[in-house]
Amino acid sequence: MQSILAVDDSASMRQMVSFTLKGAGYHVIEAADGQEALEKARAQQVDLVLTDQNMPRMDGLTLVRQLRAMHAFAATPMLILTTESSDDMKAKGKAAGATGWLVKPFDPAKLLDVVKRVIK
Amino acid sequence: MDSLDEHDAAVVHRAALECEAIAADLERLKAMIADAGGRLLASFNVVGTLETQAPRGEAEQRRLAGAISNAVTALQFQDMADQLTTHAQLRLATMHESLARIAHGVDPLLATSRLQPVRQTGMGAGSIDLF
Repeated sequence: MQSILAVDDSASMRQMVSFTLKGAGYHVIEAADGQEALEKARAQQVDLVLTDQNMPRMDGLTLVRQLRAMHAFAATPMLILTTESSDDMKAKGKAAGATGWLVKPFDPAKLLDVVKRVIK
Repeated sequence: MDSLDEHDAAVVHRAALECEAIAADLERLKAMIADAGGRLLASFNVVGTLETQAPRGEAEQRRLAGAISNAVTALQFQDMADQLTTHAQLRLATMHESLARIAHGVDPLLATSRLQPVRQTGMGAGSIDLF
């Protein structure tokens, strides 16, 4: 079973993401901010990271940069799921090493389609 | 900057108090949204569990799956509403500080314009970019 690390400081968002991904057969590991996600990523391999951007302690782009610096996560697909929709932020996401940028609210079928396309 | 006369200072002071009152209203709104969101999510979990249990025809199953999918998209409102109200509160706090400084005859601070993180005007699904 493939594992996805889902990161968001909103409990309701984590619940919707987990419901969608688990319903499609993925194992979901949740984290409430980038720092917690980094600690969980260091403890286990995941097949995809899906992270919010604006979070306390560590934001999504910083998390992506930190994970990309780890050999185990150099090629792991990393998607940003955020309310931010500006071209400037998307460019920062790409520069940080993100695989894609999804604007909230997500459609479950579209999220699953993107995950299926990028997960290895 | 010339100091304000007594009347103008009173007006500015009342405006600052209004900012505080609006911020308090927004805090109550956040609490109501959190409460409603929690209740909706609890109900959604019940529906999500029952959805997998009862046998039903293909057409009915498709309708139900579609309704649940729409609910998942709409239930993300709490996160976005929370960000919007928090941003509004920050702007009010900045305005309050500026008004307080004006009332005391100090040059006003320019309101810090943090980019609004939520630009969506509805709950239709957002865009997807793959790099």
